[in-house]
Amino acid sequence: MPKIRVLVDPDLCIGAASCVTIAPETFQLNEENKAWVLDHGSEPDGHTYERWLEVTEEEKENIILGAQSCPTLAIFIFDEAGVQLFPER
Amino acid sequence: MKYVIIGGGISGTTAAEELRKRDSHAEITIVSEEHHPLYSRVLLPHYIKGKIPRERVFLKKETWYAQQRIEWLPGVIAQHLDPRNKFVGLSNGREYPYDKLLVATGAEVRSLEGDARGVSYFRTLDDADHFLQLVMQHQEIPRGAVYGSGFIACEYINLFHHFRIPTTLVYRGNFFWNRVLEPVCGELITRHIVEHGVDLHPNEELNTIIGEKELEGFATNKQEYLAHILGIGIGLEPSFSWLRQADVEVNAGIRANEYLETSVPDVFTSGDVAEFFDPLVGRHLMVGNWMNAMSQARTVAKTMTGERTRFELVSSYATNVLGLEIIFVADVEKASADQIYLVGSLDQGGITQVFERNGQVVGGVMIGRNKDRMPITQAIQQKHSWIQLQKELIF
Repeated sequence: MPKIRVLVDPDLCIGAASCVTIAPETFQLNEENKAWVLDHGSEPDGHTYERWLEVTEEEKENIILGAQSCPTLAIFIFDEAGVQLFPER
Repeated sequence: MKYVIIGGGISGTTAAEELRKRDSHAEITIVSEEHHPLYSRVLLPHYIKGKIPRERVFLKKETWYAQQRIEWLPGVIAQHLDPRNKFVGLSNGREYPYDKLLVATGAEVRSLEGDARGVSYFRTLDDADHFLQLVMQHQEIPRGAVYGSGFIACEYINLFHHFRIPTTLVYRGNFFWNRVLEPVCGELITRHIVEHGVDLHPNEELNTIIGEKELEGFATNKQEYLAHILGIGIGLEPSFSWLRQADVEVNAGIRANEYLETSVPDVFTSGDVAEFFDPLVGRHLMVGNWMNAMSQARTVAKTMTGERTRFELVSSYATNVLGLEIIFVADVEKASADQIYLVGSLDQGGITQVFERNGQVVGGVMIGRNKDRMPITQAIQQKHSWIQLQKELIF
């Protein structure tokens, strides 16, 4: 299964919640109205804005869709080699 | 199959992208009033504050359209619709035939009659560039003013605060969003704004812009104010005359069913202009937010390509004014609610207002109470009553 790194920039996140609607297993809003990154709905080692995830191709596509839906492009996704998958450079 | 999309914003462009994914052979045209490729309006305040460089507001490159084999007509608007012969007349003088037409034009900002350099509107990237230029051109600290009591007024207040520009705020009503909020919720916001140094004047109507070329101030029905930059946020004004002439049913927005089909066959609508039937809350709604515009585009593209799909989403919009978070979820019109319930208080610094109709929670506004967003969203999705929701909220 592909491994990806998902990162939310809390400084850019405005709590629009588009990511939460599309990929609720990966993103949940906290009390500051910023999106934490979750690992399949759970938070091993507590709350974080950045996480390595092992996902299926389908899950990966959906997480990228969640990132694409962010109006402030606050979500960054990298592959195992560190290549930025989204936003495309 | 020929798809023509009127509107090159987030809704129109997302629809085009989705149509291309679903139909690799289709002819797709985007007619866009904007000269720029797609950018995020939500990022404009970030750009003005210098949090991101200007090029990062763009969501698509100019080359993207050709790569996707999407014909992109920037700087063009639709002026005429012939639904019987199925073509649209455009401002570039051409007539475009369509098999399926999507109207996702968004709305123009409502403007004042008078104008002077220093009057600012805030909808487009060009507006953001203009505002930034106004702020930067002054050697001394200018005087800022805001006219309005909604989302755009909040943005202006935050921007002036960021640049340490003293601000006068004037609006017609008693408080922000007076068709949505209860007076105590309005008071929570006004108290917060005043505590942060904004010079507030409710219940005044702007009559005249003062200044020959450069803005010097403005006059209301009560007094005159000094201002070098005046931000206007008094709502939106869609132009539907070309659709009305074609007998497309138009009310405040373009009327559509839950499939986003208008009253005219093969004409669809999405985004800010759609007045669509929302089965979750049981009435027609107009929702002007990003999540709604994008999700409707994805859904309508399915229906346009033959997979007729109902649009169902509890959409929300989050903003903040001077650090106070305000979130709107689903149907938040006071006049359409049977009951309104409040949680929290002025003293706690946070109030949530819940809207109930026919025994179902249909909407909510959270002011300084972000934690209520999830339970309210779920209550709307599950058609729960206030009594059921109450157990989930902390008083």
